[in-house]
Amino acid sequence: MSSTPYIELHAHSAFSFLDGASLPEELVAAAVEHGHSALAQTDHDNLSGAMEFAQAAKGLGLRAIHGCELSLSGGSHLTLLVEDASGWANLCRILTIAHAETRSGPPGAPATPPESQLQTVLEHSKGIVCLTGCADHGIRDDSTARQLLEGFGSDHLRVELQRPLRRGDRERNRLLEQLASRIGVPTVATGNVHIHNRSRGPLQDAFVAIRLRSTLDASEPQRRGNRSHTLSTPQAMAARFADHPQAVAETLELAGRLDFDLTSSLGYRHPREGDLDADRELAAVCGSAFETRYGQARPHLRAEAKARLEEELRVIAGLGLAGFFLLHRDLLELARDVAAEVRGPDTARALLPPGRGRGSSVSSIVCHLTGLSHVDPIANGLQLGRFLNDDLSSTPDIDLDFPRDIRAKLIPRVHERYGKDRTALVATFPTFRARSAIRQIGAALSLPAADIERVARASEGWSGQRVGDDIKAALGDRGESPRWQWLARLAAEAHGLPRHLSQHPGGMIVAAQPLTACCPVVPSAMEGRRIVQWDKDSCSDAGFLKIDLLGLGMLSAVERCIELVWESRRERLDLSQLPLDDKPTFEAIRKAETTGVFQIESRAQMSSLLRTQPQTIDDITIQVAIVRPGPIQGGAVNPYIRRRRLVLENPGLKIEMPHPSLEAALGETLGTIIFQDQVLEVSAAFAGFTTGEAEGLRRAMSRKRSSAAVEAYRLRFIAGAQQLHGVNERLASEVFTMIRGFSGFGFPKAHAAAFGLLAYQSTWLRVHRPAEFLCALIDEQPMGFYPPDSLVHEAQRRGVKVLPPDTNLSRADSTIEEGAVRIGLNRVKGASSECVAAVVAQRLTGGPYSDSADLASRSGAARPTLEALAWAGACDSLAGSRRAALWELGAASLSQAVGENLQLALPLGIDAPELNALDAWGRAVADYSATGIAIEGNPVGLSRAKLSTSTVTATGLAELPDRARVTVAGLVVVRQRPQTAGGIVFLLIEDETGTINIVLRKEVYERHRLEVRTEPMLLIDGILERPAAAGGGISVLATQINRLPREQPASTTVKADFAPEPLVEAAAADRAEHFPRASSSRGGR
Amino acid sequence: MPSPSRSRRIRQNTVRRFGEPIAAKVKAREGGRPEIVNGQPVEAIRDTWLVEDRWWTAAPIRRRYWQVVTASGAVKTIYREAGGRWYAHG
Repeated sequence: MSSTPYIELHAHSAFSFLDGASLPEELVAAAVEHGHSALAQTDHDNLSGAMEFAQAAKGLGLRAIHGCELSLSGGSHLTLLVEDASGWANLCRILTIAHAETRSGPPGAPATPPESQLQTVLEHSKGIVCLTGCADHGIRDDSTARQLLEGFGSDHLRVELQRPLRRGDRERNRLLEQLASRIGVPTVATGNVHIHNRSRGPLQDAFVAIRLRSTLDASEPQRRGNRSHTLSTPQAMAARFADHPQAVAETLELAGRLDFDLTSSLGYRHPREGDLDADRELAAVCGSAFETRYGQARPHLRAEAKARLEEELRVIAGLGLAGFFLLHRDLLELARDVAAEVRGPDTARALLPPGRGRGSSVSSIVCHLTGLSHVDPIANGLQLGRFLNDDLSSTPDIDLDFPRDIRAKLIPRVHERYGKDRTALVATFPTFRARSAIRQIGAALSLPAADIERVARASEGWSGQRVGDDIKAALGDRGESPRWQWLARLAAEAHGLPRHLSQHPGGMIVAAQPLTACCPVVPSAMEGRRIVQWDKDSCSDAGFLKIDLLGLGMLSAVERCIELVWESRRERLDLSQLPLDDKPTFEAIRKAETTGVFQIESRAQMSSLLRTQPQTIDDITIQVAIVRPGPIQGGAVNPYIRRRRLVLENPGLKIEMPHPSLEAALGETLGTIIFQDQVLEVSAAFAGFTTGEAEGLRRAMSRKRSSAAVEAYRLRFIAGAQQLHGVNERLASEVFTMIRGFSGFGFPKAHAAAFGLLAYQSTWLRVHRPAEFLCALIDEQPMGFYPPDSLVHEAQRRGVKVLPPDTNLSRADSTIEEGAVRIGLNRVKGASSECVAAVVAQRLTGGPYSDSADLASRSGAARPTLEALAWAGACDSLAGSRRAALWELGAASLSQAVGENLQLALPLGIDAPELNALDAWGRAVADYSATGIAIEGNPVGLSRAKLSTSTVTATGLAELPDRARVTVAGLVVVRQRPQTAGGIVFLLIEDETGTINIVLRKEVYERHRLEVRTEPMLLIDGILERPAAAGGGISVLATQINRLPREQPASTTVKADFAPEPLVEAAAADRAEHFPRASSSRGGR
Repeated sequence: MPSPSRSRRIRQNTVRRFGEPIAAKVKAREGGRPEIVNGQPVEAIRDTWLVEDRWWTAAPIRRRYWQVVTASGAVKTIYREAGGRWYAHG
């Protein structure tokens, strides 16, 4: 350290959110390169990036100093640096208090900026060194400085000097030096770093403009104006402060004292940690459950289960984890109470467990017996390895899935049970994606708003790296101008930088002591929830116990379905009693008739189902796991499918493994790696890894910065395999390539088994209770692969009747009406749920509405709701047609709700004049704008007569031979450009007879990008592909793409012409906007 | 539209925008510190700063400013463009 003349004590990372443009690891790498021995990261009012910074610094041998730049009420800033563990705890407390009131506004209002009272800081000064703050917002006045001196003492207060190379630097630093000598403390130099490299300067300038909701042209005064906030060399910084050598020397002095190491223990414990009775209690809980579950089992199963239980309890006791399992069980009991309240005591849902396990925990018999998992690991042959083993270095993960409504209530209940200061949700940091970058940086560059929107819409939406292509595609040569080129460059640089703090979907931290001593805790946008400032990786690095309480849409839908089955058929379905070999269910799966079911419904899943032809629930477990990035990138998918077909065609055929030692691990998946656990099993059986080593390899593959670590394991793996089996290096290397390709993006088998079971159960419901299943799916949106419009059309083609919303027949939710699905009034966009509730309640108490005036007066619903209902066709039974209903309700209703029965039923004669009814096109357009569901069927059918006779329908394709030239027309349902598919784009389009898979090669996509990305309906020329290996799957390889000319129904404009005055606005909207927007995704979920 | 007489005056350089920089003759030390400004020796440096901005426009700015006191006692603000040319402000 002696050679370093200066240590940087004031640096912002991108975690200063729009005031810092480099990641902590970028700062660390640059610091090491410049020869710094230590570096302080001091983000604005948070420690969100502190653990990442600490870990990155540790890896590269830089000493990390922690701190933050704190905003005081009144606008001044202080730089606080952590000296020891008590200082860390105090800083966490100060920041927690600073954020406590940031969500006190009305619900939905944005958070107000955090601020601290000077008094709070002074009360928590122990262990913290205070610098007087930056050039622009630092403390200047004697009275505040003396207060700080009193609170911190002269050892722990320094006057901060900065030299941002701006006008007035010398004068300011001269005054600050005088202040320092008056109060008797030394000065210290800092650099106020915001970027690790000069090249990030423009991005930092753009961030300032975005933060101020301004433009680069207009935000000049607030900008730094030069690049002096770049992390520089210690020598250059010493030279910059040549006039203040003492302040430079003081950086070393101070840094030498700040030796708090965040990677050492923070003293976190979970509530059951160190519970001496835990081992006995857990054994007792499992013992009594064992009798119920396995008392009647066949003797060999029972013996196996007994042995497994004893083994698990031994490992758990050895690792001291009994308390951990009991904590999870406590949580589940809490969830059981919540579930009973949410579901009500006597509903069909009451039979269901409150939640179910996912992830590797499903492989544990202890989890099964404590109710944490609904899958029997013995019957399913699940190995424990990954979840629990003697070499486990961190706590295992237990993930629990809940229906959304139960989860929403459970989270505040956990806060209550364990203490608000001891529980919090895990944070996530949403990053700049292509669209947000285009819109925000584009606005900062003052680019024309309409062009920005064109580019944003044409963008693929996820990678900021390719914004240059997006600009070129949308604007052509105009995109060559320097400002657009800046946008492309800045969007690429912003890609992956954290944008703000948000709430993780379900991870929760529970502690035995107040969490605020370990990490700052901030209120969430959702009332009653609190978030730690760390994401799941940082929490895991800190050794926090994370419990995942996840909301799963399909669980909500399944529960709703069971309720509907009870309501419509008085039948209590018990999902746990479904036979697992139901023939019609498996037939549907083998024919890929799985639209709407869990997991195995996507385009890729369907085409795979046709080939793999699942026969058993185990096959479905594999099926769920196979369409994942891990198996795809690991090259497992095609070999698996090929071998699977070989086995199907030649029963009894034995698939040869690369090496006999792999038989046990890979036999079931025909020599391919499909499950995460297989990585562990292969490294143990083939390379002789201990379970701990194998787990280390798996973790190295799943973490973000890991290539060096994976390489280290590769050498060990090859050496191990050579030593154990005497195989040659080439084979060992090949097997390792399979493992490395798999990487971390796959399911553990236990997780796949849990998901596979839900996939099977939802398919069973689809096959045997189709109307109820559709009804549940419609109400539990958004979920799954298909928009509700497609779900409805597909069900209609199977004979499910779907009825439009009707004010005299619908409830708020969708219901089953004599075997048909009646769309609920809540599906109508623009209808407020309060007014809908009033409409339904009045009808139930006072009888059906006789006409429009009766509806308006008795329900007291406001005009916007009534108009929305009329436009959706929900008042056709009262007025005869949508136009008539709009006319009449416009005249009869009030602009604001007045409450039920407050308005007199006026006997006004408000019958509409003679109005043309909407034609089929008009109704489809209205349906899309109102409910998103064209209930009379896919509108492509309406254009069919005008299309050339060579245009083929989806069902017509089945009759044509392979390689036939075809033209097809359809509504775009899904667009996908999987990262794993080398630029190929997949479209799913739907016509009135079914769906069609379209494949676009890269060059075709590039040529027709705008049509593909923005047109709701397409006319596509291409070549029919029906390869034998596809098992009957058909796709069309597109050669030419055009927009489908739409009917221009004069009638929709007539509505505006004829409607009473206030309705004109409501009706005037671009019809194209009303078509459902196809979902875009990367493939998989 | 400026009147013909006005534009003629502008051409003749009798009027110019307020505070518009004019070229200056500066001799500087290595490292950039000015020593002689328009023939006047520099007695003291009052301040120096850096402006790097407007990178997104057709005319990006990169200037090192110096505020100096000359031997005659005048305070001058001068800057050096990235290209090496010196200008004086006011």
